[in-house]
Amino acid sequence: MAGLLKKTTGLVGLAVASNPHERLRVLYSKILASVQVMPQDAAYRKYTEQLISERYNLVKTEPDVEKLEQKINCGQIEEVIFQAECELALSRKMVEWKPWEPLVEEPPPNQWKWPI
Amino acid sequence: MAASLMRFVRGGLGRSFSLANRSSCLVQQQARLESTESKPTVRPKDAVSHNQLAAFGEYVAEMMPKYIQQVQVTCYNELEVMIHPDGVIPVLTFLRDHTNAQFRNMIDLTAVDIPTRQNRFEIVYNLLSLRFNSRIRIKTYTDELTPVDSAVTVHKAANWYEREVWDMFGVFFANHPDLRRILTDYGFEGHPFRKDFPLSGYVEVRYDDEVKRVVAEPVELTQEFRKFDLSTPWEVFPAYREPKDAAPKLEAGDKAPEKK
Repeated sequence: MAGLLKKTTGLVGLAVASNPHERLRVLYSKILASVQVMPQDAAYRKYTEQLISERYNLVKTEPDVEKLEQKINCGQIEEVIFQAECELALSRKMVEWKPWEPLVEEPPPNQWKWPI
Repeated sequence: MAASLMRFVRGGLGRSFSLANRSSCLVQQQARLESTESKPTVRPKDAVSHNQLAAFGEYVAEMMPKYIQQVQVTCYNELEVMIHPDGVIPVLTFLRDHTNAQFRNMIDLTAVDIPTRQNRFEIVYNLLSLRFNSRIRIKTYTDELTPVDSAVTVHKAANWYEREVWDMFGVFFANHPDLRRILTDYGFEGHPFRKDFPLSGYVEVRYDDEVKRVVAEPVELTQEFRKFDLSTPWEVFPAYREPKDAAPKLEAGDKAPEKK
């Protein structure tokens, strides 16, 4: 439907999505699944789950693409799909990096003192 | 004839313009005299954007406590994140790919040389988020021998910037695809932006008539090196007086950060 009405996104390299709801549903459920591996109290897991499930609910409840774009309020639906793809890639990398662990090393004394 | 007429007309116009300018100047001066100065010329504080940046800084610090050592918002409302050198790629990737950050553009990558520090080089990354119209500065540190992870896998723009930093400061970037000199001349030795590199350099080039080519020779100065005492008796950074209590430092707190 969106493909019939919309010819272009106006952004280079970003094609019009033919079935954005389906794509977003797949991506969001994948992100939520990959986040499950992280510990419960990891801030990244907490905030990402909150953000993604909020958007997931909007995608589930709102069938109209334009209204969905307005409700998400983060650009066109194609951009939202791109953001979800990035977030999925990031969440998989985050599992390897484990950034919720304590600080690897304190800075040397006076490293961040300015002026010297 | 016509040309002289034109000139005359133009001269006349110019004169009347300058007259008008002068009179408007007078009016402005009068206005300035009349208005009593109520506001001192101090930069106005933008509390809203300051708080927004501080909240986002806390958000980032809470997400990646493993790498982020310190977060601060400068007096010019710039968010600065100080990270451990191991965290260059994770933090840059996180800021690029996270939906609430989206810092997709690398604006600048540079280094600062502070020889008195244990890790003398500070590497600075400036990023821009077009989606949220905001900027962030990432800082990390290294010394002459420790390599830093190259950011080319995250931002393609880092390629030439890292070559420039390598050329000027001699900071080695690990896993860079093509780490060569970029600004200095063929066969140049040394890293000219280091503080211990002399202002005049080590060699000078000139065209030699006898050998019919450009030759490089060690620099000869007509005057002996003189050490000037350049320290000023005045206070240079009055805005940076040592605070009595600890510096305002944002750490990962349990306060719920606002969403950007």
